[in-house]
Amino acid sequence: MRLTASLLIALLALVVIGPAAAQQGVSDAEIVVGCSNSFSGPLAYTGEQATRYGVDLYFKVVNDTGGINGRKVRTVYYDDGYKPQEAVANTRKLVEQDKVFAVIAPQGTAPVAATLEYLEENKVPLLFPFQGSPITRGKKYVFSGMTLYDRQSKMMIDYLVGERKLKTFGVLYQDDDYGKAFLTAYEKDLARHNLKIASAEPVKRGVTDVSAQIAKLRAASPQVTFLVLTPGPGAQALKERQKIGWTDTVMVSSGPLTDEKYLGLAGDAAEGVEGLSLWPDPLTSDLPGVKAYRAAMQKYFDKNEPNRYSLSGYFAAMLFAEGAKRAGRTLTRETLIGALENVRGFDSGILPPLTIGPDHETQKQGFWVRVEKGRFKALTDWLKSD
Amino acid sequence: MITRRVWPALALAVLAAWPWVAPRYFVFLASLVLVNVVVAIGLNLLSGYTNQLSFGHAGFLAIGAYVAALITIHAPAVPVIVTLLLAGAFTAAVGLAFGVPCLRLGGLYLSMATLAFGFVITEAILNLDMLTKGADGLRVPVARLGAWPLATDTARYYLTAVVAVLMVAAAVNLVRARPGRAFLALRESEIAAQASGVPVAAYKTAAFGLSAFYTGVAGGLFAFVVGFLSPDAFDVFLSVDFVVMIIVGGLGSVPGSIIGAAVVTVLYDWLAAFQNYRPLIFGAILIACMLFMPGGIVRALAPSARR
Repeated sequence: MRLTASLLIALLALVVIGPAAAQQGVSDAEIVVGCSNSFSGPLAYTGEQATRYGVDLYFKVVNDTGGINGRKVRTVYYDDGYKPQEAVANTRKLVEQDKVFAVIAPQGTAPVAATLEYLEENKVPLLFPFQGSPITRGKKYVFSGMTLYDRQSKMMIDYLVGERKLKTFGVLYQDDDYGKAFLTAYEKDLARHNLKIASAEPVKRGVTDVSAQIAKLRAASPQVTFLVLTPGPGAQALKERQKIGWTDTVMVSSGPLTDEKYLGLAGDAAEGVEGLSLWPDPLTSDLPGVKAYRAAMQKYFDKNEPNRYSLSGYFAAMLFAEGAKRAGRTLTRETLIGALENVRGFDSGILPPLTIGPDHETQKQGFWVRVEKGRFKALTDWLKSD
Repeated sequence: MITRRVWPALALAVLAAWPWVAPRYFVFLASLVLVNVVVAIGLNLLSGYTNQLSFGHAGFLAIGAYVAALITIHAPAVPVIVTLLLAGAFTAAVGLAFGVPCLRLGGLYLSMATLAFGFVITEAILNLDMLTKGADGLRVPVARLGAWPLATDTARYYLTAVVAVLMVAAAVNLVRARPGRAFLALRESEIAAQASGVPVAAYKTAAFGLSAFYTGVAGGLFAFVVGFLSPDAFDVFLSVDFVVMIIVGGLGSVPGSIIGAAVVTVLYDWLAAFQNYRPLIFGAILIACMLFMPGGIVRALAPSARR
């Protein structure tokens, strides 16, 4: 019995000491990264595009041109169907079984929030999650991805009040964390200009009939009406406005809503809608990085149409590769964090030159767009939120 | 007769040794299996034994989970066993309150009502955001047993294992005793049961309360094992998964609940790697199970098993 016990302890000690020798997920030949994402459930399309057609797309390009400092990148993905408990299980499997070096581009506030503490405690980098709530701030091993909601709000209000001289604002928002995050941010940013929201109408999650709210908002006749919704109800709001012939307000969609899927649902009711776009148009932009992205898509996945989600995953992989390259041949989690913190003026050809500081926020910009003939047309150059 | 003593002993030995032989991830996965075992037994007591099919057990799980989390946040000194009992008791009270009006409903209508119950609970969690933090999600602090924090996977595993074993033992004893026989009589024919002197209303309500208690305790364990709660976790598909567990394992059988929970949980975990093919493969396996093992795995393994 005593012998068994001491053997067990020795074994345990080996297990504990073992991984310290080499960096988990990095060998001479490869780097393993991955994430839990939605491949089923409400955000399946977004999840698949961001990972298999986004992150993987860039890593295919990298691997075919010699890898990162001689190492190829391999990815592992698991489906969580947007359920936090499955995101936890998958993330643990990635770290403990697949021994990934870092988690890259997981999706959604709840699944990401559920894994934050675990990853931070185990010192596993969580890189560029596809979500905009500021829950990712102030963590040593976490770098945010998309421009966080409060920064988006600041740019939107400063542009509309400062440049366009608009003064009265209404908000149609989803009655949950996402909607309220924007609502409180709008209130705060308007207060800086000594302005207030004229009318704010909530929409319950999952509800598609918004006619009552639209009627109430119209009664307050704001110059600008913000839509903080998801594609379905967002498109419904635009159709309702068209139906009742409410034309003397500028409809402005929030950042996550500024995408093609929502345009398609709204049809010609989307004409003239404005918003803050975080990404250049993946189909038509002439930026060199976006052209390279389209060429890669053509080469590796010629049946998959370019879109913002895959572009965002592609960009996340690009940023990871940049950090890993700077960290050099002795790639560890600590050297990667250090290297990313020292990214200065990185030119991706997709977004403006990017500098990451100790705040770990990678994107801080967006630009103003208006829907013309079913596509987003840029009205401004990049707006800044610093 | 011998096997009836050997199997439980073997199962207990494996349970006790598991954290020492299995890698860390599988200790965590085993905890999830055990949580689902408790839910499956609770659901089986209601659906398998008294034939009241529920599609709202994710709602009961959510209640137990949030109650346990809130107790741990606001009264960290309460020992985890008391927390779990309170979570179970509160959920049982909700179950009873829900079960009484449902007495008049049968078959599909009851399933509809339970389905709606599940939706009501997630909406309630979203709207009670002062308490639950709504869609933001709630981080669950570490559970404490006296001065001892259950901060490691192994500690949480043993907590779950001990509770699950107690709940299984209680269920086995219950179904062999008078209430279990009354439940079975109810399933076969309510009229015949009533004629034999079974108080139908009382037993049907009790089955609801008992089932909710099991699921509430499981919810508490779920909160500690997963460490994070959000309404997205408790959608209708989770309720369906629970029903799948007891159908695949075997309706009206405690071993069936255990096998069903283990098979479905492990299958889900394994299929996560198939990404968007997961629902397809899962569905195909399910249909195959129904076609070839209509009585569930437990009756396919032992056709003569006592119902």
